[in-house]
Amino acid sequence: MPLPAKAFQHWLHSVAPATSTADICRIAGIKRTTLAQQLVRGKVAEATLVSISRALGLNPVDGLAGFESYAGLRDTSRPPTQAELVSQIATTDLLRAVIARTGGGEATATLSPAPHATSVRNWVDAIDDGDVRHRVSAATGIARQNFSAQLTANRLAPELAVATSRAAGVGLAGGLVATGLITEAEAGWAPGARQAALEALSDGELATLAGDRLQALGKTLRRQEQEQAQTEKIWENLG
Amino acid sequence: MTEILQWAALVVCGGVALGRLPDAARGRNRSIFGAFLLAAFAILLSIDGPYLAVDAWLGGENYANLILRFFVYGAVVLVGYRTARAFDDRRAVRRIAGPAGLAVLGAVAAATTVFFLLADTSGSATGLGELPLRSPSNAQLIGLYATAGRAYPAFVAACLLPSTVRATRSRLPAAVRAGALLLSVGCAALVAAALYPLLRANVTGAQATINFTAVLGMSLGLATIWLAGRAAARSSARPRGTAEPGPEEPGPEESGRGAPKAPHA
Repeated sequence: MPLPAKAFQHWLHSVAPATSTADICRIAGIKRTTLAQQLVRGKVAEATLVSISRALGLNPVDGLAGFESYAGLRDTSRPPTQAELVSQIATTDLLRAVIARTGGGEATATLSPAPHATSVRNWVDAIDDGDVRHRVSAATGIARQNFSAQLTANRLAPELAVATSRAAGVGLAGGLVATGLITEAEAGWAPGARQAALEALSDGELATLAGDRLQALGKTLRRQEQEQAQTEKIWENLG
Repeated sequence: MTEILQWAALVVCGGVALGRLPDAARGRNRSIFGAFLLAAFAILLSIDGPYLAVDAWLGGENYANLILRFFVYGAVVLVGYRTARAFDDRRAVRRIAGPAGLAVLGAVAAATTVFFLLADTSGSATGLGELPLRSPSNAQLIGLYATAGRAYPAFVAACLLPSTVRATRSRLPAAVRAGALLLSVGCAALVAAALYPLLRANVTGAQATINFTAVLGMSLGLATIWLAGRAAARSSARPRGTAEPGPEEPGPEESGRGAPKAPHA
């Protein structure tokens, strides 16, 4: 469930008491009508709070943590696991690392920032003990296939991301990084944490991981090509 | 009420046919254009004024109604074959255009003609109106004639239904799925149009609604897919090849999101 409008307005008043809504929208790059609509509906999107926080120079995680459903988000006692960190490295970066290690080349350039094209599914896989999807669906009431559909689309509603973290017993911010709602730095991940996690992988682990990612990528691309061919056939005959 | 639905159906069918005219002139999918043209003429002949005018010209023996039936069969076989090919349903292609399908078409066409010739059809009457009342045998013959007329569209629709429903639930572009959904509704209505009179006796009003649903579903379904295809062709004017993710391009997995919806060149 997105943020309740009342609590959101309370937060907004506390962080920017003297600024008009119009100004807030302008500096945060949000359409006024969008915000107005969210307020009327009583549900404000987390992304709205994130944009406003950033525009005001605040860490959005602090803002989110003040809401009931995101309590504990700021808890730094549970840093991201190694698997979570590695899951947020783009496949191309992993492949570059494989080449650099096997070819004896120089260490690669800096990793591209999270999220990447399959970061959500990779993140869930990284924290999944085999039963986490089941527990998320039991805790939130979302159907398993709807959850899967979101992962396939590389999306996950923020409250589901947090629920998934809870179900897996990891730090709450990881899913929000994987979905791109907040950055690693905002989540409190140490700079270079992903790089360090990558370096900590053995050659075998890295090769296996890169192989798994390549296989998944191949499957996705093949399915897309198939769908493309189907679509073209439809247009060729009916278009 | 019935007449309003018929005019609406005519506007839709005629509109789609007109819209496709430029493409057809360029030789693109003329069969679909032909199907819409036939359907538009068939609908025109189901409306009182045009029917009486055409039938008077043909001698007032209701041959216009027989022509209407064959226009419908023609439209149905064209759309059926093309749609089955489009959704890559080989079984449906075989059932519609294979020997079995053509045999069904031949049998229905023969039955239609025979029942028509055996019945007393003198005196123009739109939809053969009161002709069945002339005698019990005439009622039976015209009943069979009408049943044959509904049987073939229902047969083709039943062949198409599995693949259109499957396409609705697939991961194809949203517009294609919406079109497939409309086609499914149209096909279901065609099947219902054949089955409903077998279950209930006096059904003229409901029949008009079912027929209208069928025409609307099929026309709008095909139009949706057609427009989506054109929009996609226009938006991907890039030369072929540049849209394919190459292995050496940075981030080949960028196409992992949303790309199946965006047609490549």
